[in-house]
Amino acid sequence: MITAELTRPERTTTAGRWYLERSGLETLVAALRADGRTVIGPTVADGAIVYDEIRASSDLPHGVGDVQAAGKYRLTTREDARAFGYVVGPTSWKRWVFPPLVELNTGMRAGHRVEFTPTRPDPTRLAFIGVRACEIAAFDAQDRVLDSGHFRDADYAARRKAAFIVAVQCTTAESTCFCTSMGTGPEVEHGFDLALTELDDGFLVDVGSPAGLELVQGALAGSMRPATPVEVYTAAADVAATRARIGDPLPAAGLHDRLLAQLDHPRWAQVAERCITCGNCTLACPTCFCTSVIQTTDIEGNAATNERAWDSCFSPGFARVAGGSFRTRPRDRYRQWLTHKFGTWWDQFGTSGCTGCGRCITWCPVGIDVREELMAIAPPVALSPEPARVEPVAASFDDFVVAQVVGTRQETADTVTLTLSGADPAFSKGSLGQFAMVAIPGFPPLPISISRFTVDGIELTIRGAGPATKAMCALKIGDQLGLRGPLGNNWPLDRAVGRDLVIVTGGIGLAPLRPVIHALAADRRRFGDVRLYYGARTPADILYHEEMRAWASRGGIEVNLTVDRAGPEWDGNVGVVTQLFDHATWEGANVVAFVCGPERMMQATANTLAGRGVTNSRIFVTLERHMECGIGLCGHCQMGKYFVCRDGPVFSLAQLGDIFGREGI
Amino acid sequence: MAPEITASVEHGRTGHGGSPHPRVGVVKFASCDGCQLTILDLEDRLLEITEHFEIIDFPEASSSRSSGPFDVLFIEGSVSTPDHLRRIGELRKQTRVLATIGACATSGGIQALRNWADHDAYRSAVYPRPEFVESLARSTPISEHVPVDFELRGCPISPDQLVELLTALATGRRPQLRDEAVCMECKRRGVVCVMSAQGMPCLGQVTQTGCGAICPRMGRGCYGCFGPREQANAAGLARYLQASGDRSAEDVGQLFAGFTAYAEPFRSTITDLGGTRGARRSGGGGGGAAGRGGPGAAGRASYLPAKPRMEGFDDDGH
Amino acid sequence: MTATETATSERVYEVDELTRVEGEGSLVLRVHKGKVTEARLRIWEAPRYFEQLVVERTPDEVIDIVARICGICPVAYQMSAVHAFEDLFGIAVDPEVRTLRRLLYCGEWIESHALHIYLLHLPDFLGYESAIALAHDDRPAVERGLRMKKAGNEILATLGGRPIHPVSVRVGGFSRTPRRSDLEHLRAPLAAALEDARETVRLVRGLTAPDFEREPRMVALHHPDEYPYNRGHIQSTDGLDLRPSDWDRAFREVQMEGSMALHARTKEGATYLLGPASRIVLDGAQLHPVARELLAETGMADAIRTNIYWSILARAIELVHAIAEAIDIIDAYRPPIEARVAWASRPGVAAWSTEAPRGLLFHRYEVDERGRITAAQIVPPTSQNQGAIEDDLRLFAPSVLDLPDAEATLRLEQLIRSYDPCISCATHFLDVRILRD
Repeated sequence: MITAELTRPERTTTAGRWYLERSGLETLVAALRADGRTVIGPTVADGAIVYDEIRASSDLPHGVGDVQAAGKYRLTTREDARAFGYVVGPTSWKRWVFPPLVELNTGMRAGHRVEFTPTRPDPTRLAFIGVRACEIAAFDAQDRVLDSGHFRDADYAARRKAAFIVAVQCTTAESTCFCTSMGTGPEVEHGFDLALTELDDGFLVDVGSPAGLELVQGALAGSMRPATPVEVYTAAADVAATRARIGDPLPAAGLHDRLLAQLDHPRWAQVAERCITCGNCTLACPTCFCTSVIQTTDIEGNAATNERAWDSCFSPGFARVAGGSFRTRPRDRYRQWLTHKFGTWWDQFGTSGCTGCGRCITWCPVGIDVREELMAIAPPVALSPEPARVEPVAASFDDFVVAQVVGTRQETADTVTLTLSGADPAFSKGSLGQFAMVAIPGFPPLPISISRFTVDGIELTIRGAGPATKAMCALKIGDQLGLRGPLGNNWPLDRAVGRDLVIVTGGIGLAPLRPVIHALAADRRRFGDVRLYYGARTPADILYHEEMRAWASRGGIEVNLTVDRAGPEWDGNVGVVTQLFDHATWEGANVVAFVCGPERMMQATANTLAGRGVTNSRIFVTLERHMECGIGLCGHCQMGKYFVCRDGPVFSLAQLGDIFGREGI
Repeated sequence: MAPEITASVEHGRTGHGGSPHPRVGVVKFASCDGCQLTILDLEDRLLEITEHFEIIDFPEASSSRSSGPFDVLFIEGSVSTPDHLRRIGELRKQTRVLATIGACATSGGIQALRNWADHDAYRSAVYPRPEFVESLARSTPISEHVPVDFELRGCPISPDQLVELLTALATGRRPQLRDEAVCMECKRRGVVCVMSAQGMPCLGQVTQTGCGAICPRMGRGCYGCFGPREQANAAGLARYLQASGDRSAEDVGQLFAGFTAYAEPFRSTITDLGGTRGARRSGGGGGGAAGRGGPGAAGRASYLPAKPRMEGFDDDGH
Repeated sequence: MTATETATSERVYEVDELTRVEGEGSLVLRVHKGKVTEARLRIWEAPRYFEQLVVERTPDEVIDIVARICGICPVAYQMSAVHAFEDLFGIAVDPEVRTLRRLLYCGEWIESHALHIYLLHLPDFLGYESAIALAHDDRPAVERGLRMKKAGNEILATLGGRPIHPVSVRVGGFSRTPRRSDLEHLRAPLAAALEDARETVRLVRGLTAPDFEREPRMVALHHPDEYPYNRGHIQSTDGLDLRPSDWDRAFREVQMEGSMALHARTKEGATYLLGPASRIVLDGAQLHPVARELLAETGMADAIRTNIYWSILARAIELVHAIAEAIDIIDAYRPPIEARVAWASRPGVAAWSTEAPRGLLFHRYEVDERGRITAAQIVPPTSQNQGAIEDDLRLFAPSVLDLPDAEATLRLEQLIRSYDPCISCATHFLDVRILRD
């Protein structure tokens, strides 16, 4: 099985798993301080967990928990003495890597001369203890904003670089958490020097950097031993339980498109009735980076000091120019924040601006929950049971356009992909799942799925099963053939925007779905989890095998393979394709499925999907019928009220109703 | 609308009468003297400032008096007596740049709570011979009577904002007086929100910054002494405070009935929530002169600006 | 300031607007054939109806509201109010809370006394129109005053968020109490201020005061163990001894003829003097040793009692006291376990007196069963001193009648400033318990 997820940065490999006694926490704090660092971590202050200086491990909030809800935060007393038994509090690490007030420069004017002196960053060496997965995601987001590209924030970069990070896996969660939806947690997987998972009597320690390793092998060595399998298992189980507790509060797939399509939604005005535009959400947010420069001068006006201060798009003055503000109404400012955070941030920085930490929810004084607003303004795209109809562009029964074979590729023993050039320009407008009528004089024209759209042509993947297909497979570069199309409708990929997509297919059935995979890999963030389940007769019959690795590694697509008959070299799954997801953990509530294969296989798949909660309107199949004309004129492909060539070949099960799978239709 | 500047003391200016420094006056109407005391509270900065301004009238601090003309006049206190009404017009005529200092001058002050009461009933309930008491029915901000060029909010004003305004006046630039919420200052200072973490009602969200978020820093909710910030959603906050806690409309109204009660939109919010308790008890019925469209609104002269014309960010957008 | 001679050889000295006092007032002195026929300190601050503004409010709201009576001594108003409520509700605050309140009061005394000595009063003695003018000739002196004032304000800002109208005083304690480390930064400026205050005593001792002796009745809080801020009994030079809540058993407010002004008198109708001079006289033994020693060195204890012009020295001695005590408190401070104790309201009359910088400040509130105020009476020191001021004016005026008018009126003004009258405070006395009289 090949799995990979493009949206997560690569894991940092750890040099073994270690166990640190609870008393070793003091050693850790002392070691970091001895290293000349100011240690910042969770403390209890003013009724909250506040990140502040830790002088000894006793400063940590042992036995303190919290309860959080929209607009509400309360500390609680835990039954145990865990040091990290709380969820993120009001402070974020932004305070230390991107402080609220930073002097930028001073300016002097003397007579005709002016002089500017930049205030060079002089970062204290810090160590952060208790950094959660969502907070590491915040560092990642800030790195992209402030420390990548041509212009960089030197002060941020220096502070960030000077910080040692002790991460903590979340073994507890609050109602405001939604890292799972944002793909940022709760598992800490990278971006730390050391990562702790708090157990009853101590900590499982992962090492994430040479600096971390040095500490483990040096100052901490006396307090550590290799972790036992039980400890490793318990730690993983605790974090997994946290993930389960959080669930998926904000189905976020495709949120970018969903949200940006709703700039005129009436809800913006409604939320503005409740929103006080105080800006708390933006300053509590660990990634919000907007600032303003505040200048102070001496009374002569000759010496000036410029300071950068956290600012907010919620303040009326933030977008003010001579003549007024660009965002005069509170609704404009709320929309600016939300669309930036969850939408245009992707376009600017390639990630979401939200890490799912929930601070903006807890610390909204009037309890506005962004998740509720997002689900109201930009819900997961509504479904229609029917794929959109595609108007055929090449519609004449008797006409073929000649195209030339410019490339051939032997996919398997009996399957070839032809690259064709010079086809009807109409093919450039073709869409995913359409087919072409392919004609070689002397053979009956056959409907063949288009397996790729190229700049000036298409690719066809053909299995040489009969005389006509064998003849096609035998074509060489330079040979010509006739094409009519593109024909039929397409896979309704738009319905999968904002949802998880499951693709189930076998054998040559992957060919019509290959353009779908290309399309979604190119615009991956519009979709949630994408999983491909593919079955072949033998390992040698796996289509596009090399390409699949790229789909997995770069396309962010989980590829799951099975074969009917394995050889000795195959250590993967054996069995029918539906067995592949018998053990999968995903829920079907937000899934759209595309299925292509023999009708019996599709039926079995549909049953399995239904069992996972995927409704008929979200299961799409492609039907095979005898097609001669491809444009609904010859009558061969009728199925109930449909001409499969013209109304299909892609149908939702809801559309087909009980004729699907019925014998003799 | 962008703030518009009607007056400034230009750079390299000469004051009236050939003095090299702007001639400054500090006068008071109905007030506690705390805002003008803030001038003296500048302490180590005070003497430097007096080297750049010629203070020609400041009765609290100097026996030397002047009736103008003023390059800059700071007015503390609200318009509260017939004499104030007469003086304010005269002072404006003598003044190039008029700056109101403090909650009384900018919003009517705590004494404006009487604006919800029936003043005559109120007064005769208190005084055996009310005819001796020279007092107007309403305590009103200076800007309700004459154009105001700058305003410093607060009960009392912030020394830092005062220095910023003085420095700006001395150098001929625009003062940076931010109009954001107190919350911004709270968050910058790392103060834990008392509303979310302790359930205390707090007006910080609807109140203009400048105080340094002292109330939340001191562990209590903001009571709005810097007055409503631009576009303050006081009604939204009032709705939330009623819905989220065990608070009646009257309880919530009292939260706004403080030192800047008469500034909109606090004023309307109080009125919408039933007026002030004290006014109801004294027979004012809660609406009084402060009600929407009541005598308060009708009595307003038409040329007066709705709000001071200079506040917050520069026209340049910074 | 004008002096006019009428046809009937009556001279009228008027100071239209008193300067270098907090608030607005005027002075009228009528002299007929060399005899003073009328001496009146008129206060024309606009009425602000404070005793009505607090009606229907809760005790904690009252603490915020009454502070606004006076920007110079807001803590005094907060203190009298909070003690009145705590006395009625039977609240025992943490001893450290009580100590912090003393520290807060020290801050206000330091700020107020430094302000009065250097910015309002000293220019009179040295012949300047203002401290700003004085600074042209003696900048170090004015800077010394400002330094001490700043040290006092720093205490207020540290404990209460800001010097004017601090926000942390609550019924039952404080909304927040400082950590030990929060007070550390106060230590150095206070140590410097103590030296400045000693220097101030030396400076003030060297001033020349007009000859003007009388023996007023003096009233102040007295506590055997401490210089009085917020506890002790009301005592007087003629043997009075009352709980601080019982001010109205010995004193009352009376309406002056031809004016709305209320003055306080003893029940017998006598005037009395409050403030630093009275405290030095009644509580000199409780001064901080540093201040007590300095007072003894000056040898002026008796002059302070008999000549109001020497109130400036009394103020300087109290400045030393407040600074020295503040330092002691900071050095010994341990944060209270609870910043504020829980409390429940109970109906009744809440009354208390504390020592504002200018003297005894009495508050009385009627609280109903919902815990809201139904009536209030606030008697600030200036309205209590007003009778004594006018007495002194009548006594003193004949000695200046031979002087040129301008100088004569200046001397009269100077006399008034010796009382450090806070007219902003006094103004609310227009409100009116006259109904009850």
